[in-house]
Amino acid sequence: MRMIMLIGLILGIVGGSAQPAMPQGAKSAISLENAWARRAPAMAPGAPGGHGAMAGGDGGNGAVYVTIVNRGTSADALVSATTDAAKTVELHETVQEGGVMKMRPLRRFEVPGGGRLEMKPGGHHIMLMGLTRDLKPGDTVSVTLTFDQGGRMTLAAPVR
Amino acid sequence: MLLVCIAPAWAASPKFRSGVLDPPRPAPDIVLRAHDGTDFRLSRYRGDVVAIAFGYTFCPDVCPTTLAELAQVRARLGPVAKRLRVVFVTVDPERDSPERLRVYTQAFDRTFIGLTGSPEQLAAVQKSYGVVAKKQAVPGTAAAYLVDHSAFVYVVDAEGRLRLMVPFGTSMVDMTHDISLLLGR
Repeated sequence: MRMIMLIGLILGIVGGSAQPAMPQGAKSAISLENAWARRAPAMAPGAPGGHGAMAGGDGGNGAVYVTIVNRGTSADALVSATTDAAKTVELHETVQEGGVMKMRPLRRFEVPGGGRLEMKPGGHHIMLMGLTRDLKPGDTVSVTLTFDQGGRMTLAAPVR
Repeated sequence: MLLVCIAPAWAASPKFRSGVLDPPRPAPDIVLRAHDGTDFRLSRYRGDVVAIAFGYTFCPDVCPTTLAELAQVRARLGPVAKRLRVVFVTVDPERDSPERLRVYTQAFDRTFIGLTGSPEQLAAVQKSYGVVAKKQAVPGTAAAYLVDHSAFVYVVDAEGRLRLMVPFGTSMVDMTHDISLLLGR
């Protein structure tokens, strides 16, 4: 983990990223627990351009779940996420209304000070759209989360 | 309307733990196209227990959760699992080609069968099972559209009667328990 953070720091500096590179380091109030990803097929094997046998155009989608713990006193929020395993990443929430499951994008996942946000199936999740590879049990997906206050953190989500 | 028929497990039958349909009624037949191009007819599966899930391959959260759980149920059942058939009926025929349904269902379990058909055929199946599915253009997502849908697993017994409507979020232990009862274990 330290290695990943260090790499992120270096990349942030060398790349001249507009985002502050991990300002929090060891004193971040945010920590991540129980990250995992649902197994999912990429749908268009060997065809990064989206051509081939898959009529319908879209690649496969996946979901990553993690619990965000905020030990600080002020609220923070997850505002975006990126991964090399998908073309697009969105923050989504599934809500159940009268037995009907509705998936909706959210601009941010709020985490109150001293609180936590537990992502889980049928609730908040990080949606990976247009998978670039199959997510198979035993694989690991690396996802970088950007927080409103807490900078960036990278998680490694085992696929199951 | 179907919701009215669900009795709590303790009222209908002390044995089942998830959504029991009491009294059981004949499962409406399902005649659709399987992901391998063959004709699928539910009524041909008398003698087997059939679990029917509705969803779409674009769905990353609810549908894969349901299929992953059903795959785990099969794994927990052991040898008797060969008498449990799992079918996944698309609510998104526009995007779900047989090939997409094949790849998607096979990622969870090689025995699962993806089903599609004409929009009219699928609407008729949804209606007969009381399934709600509604295409929604949702702002704020790169997805062209999402499909809101009910997420029960319908379980048909070996005599072709609809016995269970398992709500999303039912524990694996309870689902395995109920399905193994229907398998006569």
